[in-house]
Amino acid sequence: MRTLIRTIAVVFVLTMQVASLSAQKQPEQQEVFTPIDQLPPQEQLPAAPLLVSAYVFVLLMLFGYLLMVSRRLTTIRSEVDRLDADVKRSGKG
Amino acid sequence: MPKWFQPLALLCGAMFAFTPLVIANAPYESTMGLVQKVFYYHMPSAWVFLTASVVCGIASARFLATGNPRHDRTALAAAEMAVLFGLLTLVTGPLWARKAWGTWWIWDARITSSLVGWMIAWAYLILRQYGGPGSEKLSAGLALFGMANVPFIYVSVNYWRTIHPATTVVPKLPFSMGFPLLFCLAAFFLLMFLLMTLRTRVAEQQARLDAIYLSLDEQA
Repeated sequence: MRTLIRTIAVVFVLTMQVASLSAQKQPEQQEVFTPIDQLPPQEQLPAAPLLVSAYVFVLLMLFGYLLMVSRRLTTIRSEVDRLDADVKRSGKG
Repeated sequence: MPKWFQPLALLCGAMFAFTPLVIANAPYESTMGLVQKVFYYHMPSAWVFLTASVVCGIASARFLATGNPRHDRTALAAAEMAVLFGLLTLVTGPLWARKAWGTWWIWDARITSSLVGWMIAWAYLILRQYGGPGSEKLSAGLALFGMANVPFIYVSVNYWRTIHPATTVVPKLPFSMGFPLLFCLAAFFLLMFLLMTLRTRVAEQQARLDAIYLSLDEQA
């Protein structure tokens, strides 16, 4: 447990160091989204790989978590059923 | 599982299957173009992340007040949702930012406080896993800090200098962008509800298993 806490503390301190190093001037904040319909095509920014990566990552993670929880539930249920049967059997015996 | 679970799961699956179609029909945003469409998954993930943190905090407070393990199981399930959807938020955000802002990451108030909120949710789960007996109450206390961080995350863009879009963006969205967002929000919140139900069920079964092991020990 101590090792884990030390590791987390070291990671936190290192992260904060990176924060100070990467301080940079920020562009202006955007206050409204406007549809692009009227802009010429050359001003549209194609970013398909980033967009597809984001969507694929979300769907894969959600599916992976769903699979993980379902498997955990199935394992625990079969364990409960097995032990229930054992307890009943030992009660009869 | 409850009777309503399967129909709702089918509905949720159908909604997620339709989201690419709904998002494809939304117009491009004028300054960011195609990459802005990450928004339709990024923002619902962020809202579910914040909601899960609040649910975890409320359930933890109720657990601390009443000692009812049901609230503890709800808090545990909500903490896992916060970690999962927080991860989705913190990964999709940089993918959007790389194109829109020209950088993967900036340490502004919104992103940094979101990272802190996500780490608190992780800390909750780590404490539950390795904290030993009594860790439920310690982690419940931690969840209260996670919940307290949520309003700060939400309003941070209005009070600190940032290039993150302001909270005025969503109310001002035209219907062509607002409808896909609402559709995705509904799909994500329905998914959160279903996953929490499933995860709570796992925790209930685990508690039942522990009780059986205890009774077997007493018999032996």
